[in-house]
Amino acid sequence: MKIVVCIKQVPGVSSVKIDPETKRLIRDGVISVINPFDYYALEEALRLRELHGGSVTVLSMGPQKAEQSIREALAFGADNAVLLCDKHFAGSDTWGTSYVLALAVRKIGDVDLVLCGKQAIDGDTAQVGPGIAAHMKDWPHAAGVSAINGIEDHMLSVNRMIDGGYDECLLTLPAVLSVIKEINEPRVARLKGWLKAEHSLIDIWDADQIGADVNLLGLNGSPTRVVKTTPPKSRDRKTTFFDGSEAESAGKLLYELRIISAI
Amino acid sequence: MNLNYKRYRLEVSPPKQAVNHLSERLTRFDEKYNKAVDAGHCVCVTDNAMGNLAFQGHELIQELKLPVRFGQVMIHLNTFHTLSDLHWILDSCGELGIKEILVVSGDGSVRLPKLKPSEIDCDSASVTSVELLGYIRKIYGSAFILGAAFNQYEPEAHEILKFRRKIEAGAEFIVTQPMVGRNELIEKVMSKTKIPFIIEAWMSPNIKLLSDCIGYSIASEDTFDPMACLESLRNAYPANGFYLALLDFKTQFNNFQIKA
Repeated sequence: MKIVVCIKQVPGVSSVKIDPETKRLIRDGVISVINPFDYYALEEALRLRELHGGSVTVLSMGPQKAEQSIREALAFGADNAVLLCDKHFAGSDTWGTSYVLALAVRKIGDVDLVLCGKQAIDGDTAQVGPGIAAHMKDWPHAAGVSAINGIEDHMLSVNRMIDGGYDECLLTLPAVLSVIKEINEPRVARLKGWLKAEHSLIDIWDADQIGADVNLLGLNGSPTRVVKTTPPKSRDRKTTFFDGSEAESAGKLLYELRIISAI
Repeated sequence: MNLNYKRYRLEVSPPKQAVNHLSERLTRFDEKYNKAVDAGHCVCVTDNAMGNLAFQGHELIQELKLPVRFGQVMIHLNTFHTLSDLHWILDSCGELGIKEILVVSGDGSVRLPKLKPSEIDCDSASVTSVELLGYIRKIYGSAFILGAAFNQYEPEAHEILKFRRKIEAGAEFIVTQPMVGRNELIEKVMSKTKIPFIIEAWMSPNIKLLSDCIGYSIASEDTFDPMACLESLRNAYPANGFYLALLDFKTQFNNFQIKA
């Protein structure tokens, strides 16, 4: 089974700044990590490979420094890695990004399954998974996947999380899945994996190599326009220490909680 | 197997899980480890301290082919592992001849899986160091010398109850939380038990970090001198062993060796 896992490098901090001109996140000088939801996609891919054989390829679009996250994915046990890196990709919205990723999936060739995390924690759109399927034309997509029940005769059975429970659906392969954290418990990488990943070859493909139309890339090729961004209001938090014995301080805590109707 | 509890236990933080400068970071760990062992001390390797993913002590020892001498390696083990990883760690420690395991509840993070009570056949609401101690004892018998932590900054009744449960579950020695002077609760508990207590000394000049962990100011930032603090603790507790947290191998190790 040939599986592609899409990962995104996202800011590793909760407080990010937004460029007032482009309305996009300022990523320079910010620690970057693998998008947390993508760990679940990677774990599921590794488990499927353990069950059915085949290979896992990690795919990411981003600047050169995204190589760090790709190497981390390799440390977990992915077989191959591709970084899509080109100045024309910069500023692409989810439609442009999924176009690039889909072209790379085509170039990899004979892919049975593309796995994505449910969404990236920086943009929170959850659109890239469905976008890849749309660009792959006739590939089915399932979102909110909480379990892969089985694969038989090029049919994939999955559970999708829905309001009040889940439904079970069948997809023909090849397919794209966006998985949620209920699907598994990601493993922790081991030192041997990191040592191997440190020297693993990462293919770097630009727009030419995947045959991308540059008019469909970057800000110009992206139909989405961010017209305004507003940082969330900071939550008012305060700490109160209660003096006295344990009984006295517990009594004071109880009083305060009642005043704010917390109990 | 009798451990020399008076041997100094030197905390050596394992490299964090990251690809940047990995070889250099491994070399630094190797140097600290060998320096401590060659000087006759016991190296203590933490387990994802503060919830930050780091390499496990046993895999570093395996990969770097570090020496394991009886009583000179202590591995921390917390509850933030899958069951299979827990057995991987313990089985590897067994194969390497590592005997001393300090069992703690741990800090955890979103990236770390937590042991579930059902996985280790216990009916508690969650797995703490008590349940983990009991499980290791049940599965591995006397293969390891298990230790547990004692937090003198917690309310007395609560901590004494936990201490008793840890001993019942199989803890054979205790490591305190970092101390900067005499502590009445520690002295009270030590006077009533034969369990060896290892006193943890805070070797970083940054005492604020410890104060932040505890929740109140423990000592003046302007006047705190880790070496002087260690000296006063040694005088106060001459019968105890010492665990040195955040020891600076460049500036403190040589001074400390003379005093040891």
